[in-house]
Amino acid sequence: MQKKLFIFPLIIFLCILLVFSYFLIIKRDPSELPSALINKKAPMFKTTSLFDDETILAEEIFGHETIIVNFFSTWCIPCRAEHSFIEKLSKDKNIKVIGVNYKDDSQKTIAWLEELGNPYAVIAVDMNGSIGLDWGVYGLPETFIVNKNSVITYKQVGPITKKIYSKFYQKVQESYK
Amino acid sequence: MAPSLGYFILWLSLIFAILQFIISFKKDTSNISKFHKIAVIGLLLSTFFSFFSLMYSHIVSDFSVLNVFQNSHTTKPLLYRISGVWGNHEGSMLLWILVLSVVNYWIYKLYNETNSIFVSKTLQIQAFIIIGFLLFILTTSNPFERILPPPANGLGFNPILQDPALAIHPPLLYFGYVGFSAAFSLSIATMHLGKNSEIPWYKYMKTFVVAAWTFLTAGTALGSLWAYYELGWGGWWFWDPVENAALMPWLIGTALLHSLITVERKKTLQTWVLLLAILAFLLSVIGTFLVRSGILTSVHAFALDPARGVYILSFVALLGVYSLTLFAFKAKNFLHKGYFIFLSREGSIFVNNLFMVIVCASVFFGTTYPLFVEIFSQNRISVGEPYFNSTVIPIMIPAILVMGIGPVLSWGKQNNKNTAQQILISLFLTILITIIFFLCYRGFSFYGLIGIFLSLWIICNVFVTIFFAIKKDSNKNILSPIGFFKHFNSMIISHIGVGLLILGITGSSVWQEENITRMKVNDETTINNYNIVFKEIKKVIGPNYYALEGNFWVYNKKNIVITVLKPQNRIYTITKNTTSEVSIHTNLLRDLYIVLGDGDINEGWVVRIYNNPLVIWIWIGVLIIFSGGLLALKNNLKFLRQNN
Repeated sequence: MQKKLFIFPLIIFLCILLVFSYFLIIKRDPSELPSALINKKAPMFKTTSLFDDETILAEEIFGHETIIVNFFSTWCIPCRAEHSFIEKLSKDKNIKVIGVNYKDDSQKTIAWLEELGNPYAVIAVDMNGSIGLDWGVYGLPETFIVNKNSVITYKQVGPITKKIYSKFYQKVQESYK
Repeated sequence: MAPSLGYFILWLSLIFAILQFIISFKKDTSNISKFHKIAVIGLLLSTFFSFFSLMYSHIVSDFSVLNVFQNSHTTKPLLYRISGVWGNHEGSMLLWILVLSVVNYWIYKLYNETNSIFVSKTLQIQAFIIIGFLLFILTTSNPFERILPPPANGLGFNPILQDPALAIHPPLLYFGYVGFSAAFSLSIATMHLGKNSEIPWYKYMKTFVVAAWTFLTAGTALGSLWAYYELGWGGWWFWDPVENAALMPWLIGTALLHSLITVERKKTLQTWVLLLAILAFLLSVIGTFLVRSGILTSVHAFALDPARGVYILSFVALLGVYSLTLFAFKAKNFLHKGYFIFLSREGSIFVNNLFMVIVCASVFFGTTYPLFVEIFSQNRISVGEPYFNSTVIPIMIPAILVMGIGPVLSWGKQNNKNTAQQILISLFLTILITIIFFLCYRGFSFYGLIGIFLSLWIICNVFVTIFFAIKKDSNKNILSPIGFFKHFNSMIISHIGVGLLILGITGSSVWQEENITRMKVNDETTINNYNIVFKEIKKVIGPNYYALEGNFWVYNKKNIVITVLKPQNRIYTITKNTTSEVSIHTNLLRDLYIVLGDGDINEGWVVRIYNNPLVIWIWIGVLIIFSGGLLALKNNLKFLRQNN
């Protein structure tokens, strides 16, 4: 019995290899996943604002213009990488970018934003991850496009990188229609 | 001239490595060491020359070399031109190969009249590893690639890497990783030869593992120290994939080191050691793969290239499949039939070994989990601090409890009464000091309590062990300092270091205070018991940067200035990078840590102030662990010299 166990390290190693080689072989485009929420109304929420503890009501935000909802966190390294692109998005006058600070320490987030700049019009605090749950967030970062009828038109999983930005921005413009 | 020569010599070293590999097939082993001498020394000299010709190109700023052009600049200080050699992917791989050849030479030095078959086999495996890395560098990461015509000046070096701690961090780290390659080769050679040989393979392996572990500890700590004062994020560990890549072999190395001591003493755990030796090196290479293939996101920006990923992965696959298949078939020969007592030194070591492997597995899982998620759901995510803290800490707590008892227990059967007495004394001492600590230092905190208790638990057990050892061998004068220091062996020293390390980790993570505020000149703010006044801000000009420097006067409760902290915001003129230079005031109880953020004269500047308690004990702890490791290394080398 004990002797047969000696084959286990090899088996585990082979499984790990399989996973790694899969990633090298596939052409990885880590975005574009059809979400169950696409073309549905954005889930509403009520929470507090990061800076002043004021109540944020999703109903008041959505429904007037195109809203980009970006789930982010200070412990998420890809979030740091995509931050400059979120900033670039926020320069567009036709849209409003709101951030959902997911399972994070508010003090750290404030410091993080002081360091990198704050592109968000509003930052909703999602301390226990319940907003994330409603929106079907698996992991960070995730970014949603919600049109002026409060309908989610697109979901970007993973950081908005240089490569993805123009495609994403095109989706943003499509949502104006 | 130098770069072409370096490139040519690198190919030459490939020939020496292949030669070394082939020689081991020789049937007649009587004078094999003479043949190997040519290959091993040839390899050492050629990699040495190749490495130094790249260094020379960096020192004289030969911008016709792409590597120099991309990473250097004429205004860069000499020290950083030298460390710039390994501050990039290609150069660091060349350093890796140099270290491999040095370790290879040490393996060669093991040759004596009785072990030639064994050493020759080990050198063959080692040659295989060297060939693998040489082909990697020659085919995918040539450090000597030229650009013609040569540009007038270089692109500059990432300024946050211009730092003395970071200059010596990679060489130390590589000694760690590569040291495990020797353990790997020895493990394979041992399994090939079977159990019947009388070769003390575990003693050989122990020397390399002690060296690897000691340098890996120091290298990781230096990287951590650098992150602490250079990144300006207030912390010293961020669970970044690159940090985890060093932590995983370290955890396995820790397990391996202790198991080797057990093999030496009791001959048990041999199969386990053979497996750990394989895993430690595989994890070192997998770590390299994860960092440089670009499949994980990391704050360490190495140039990424999928071709490199494919190469390293194939190489890991080759090494792993070969070694683990061999293990699957040969390991049973090394099972020890003897009786294993759980309540003993070896029992505690084995239990802790399992803990280390579990921690390593959960770090591995956390690091690669985003990849697994992506396979099944096409999502790309980041698993951060919350995951690691909630998985690693609960496993580490029992591990540290067991670690505390370990030194008290004796090998094999116990004198139960005596052991129980010692454990009770140290438990009593630990509780007593913990209570005193909380009474005079700080308020209550659950994690703080656990951390302080664990730290003291290790230290008290160690001292109780020394006390009883002294009592046993002389009834004369227990408190004589000579008797006391005689018992300070490498284990005792390193364990004290770990105790202090835990103290520092606890203090800085449980009681960290943070104050982020916008300040104008003459504004004041407080943190802990200190009053901090922003006195002035001025422009400072450095060798290759200019900076804004804030002057913060720190007053204590009695309104006496204890220090002036001067954090800077630097702009490097060539690379256009901006960095913030943290300013820290350290004493044994706490670090005051100030970072100057963005701002201007009208709005004021964002200032981040941290009070990080007990941080210095992290570095002191590691320094003590490092000295313990060096002492162990010295003893092991002495043993090898006497027996060869």
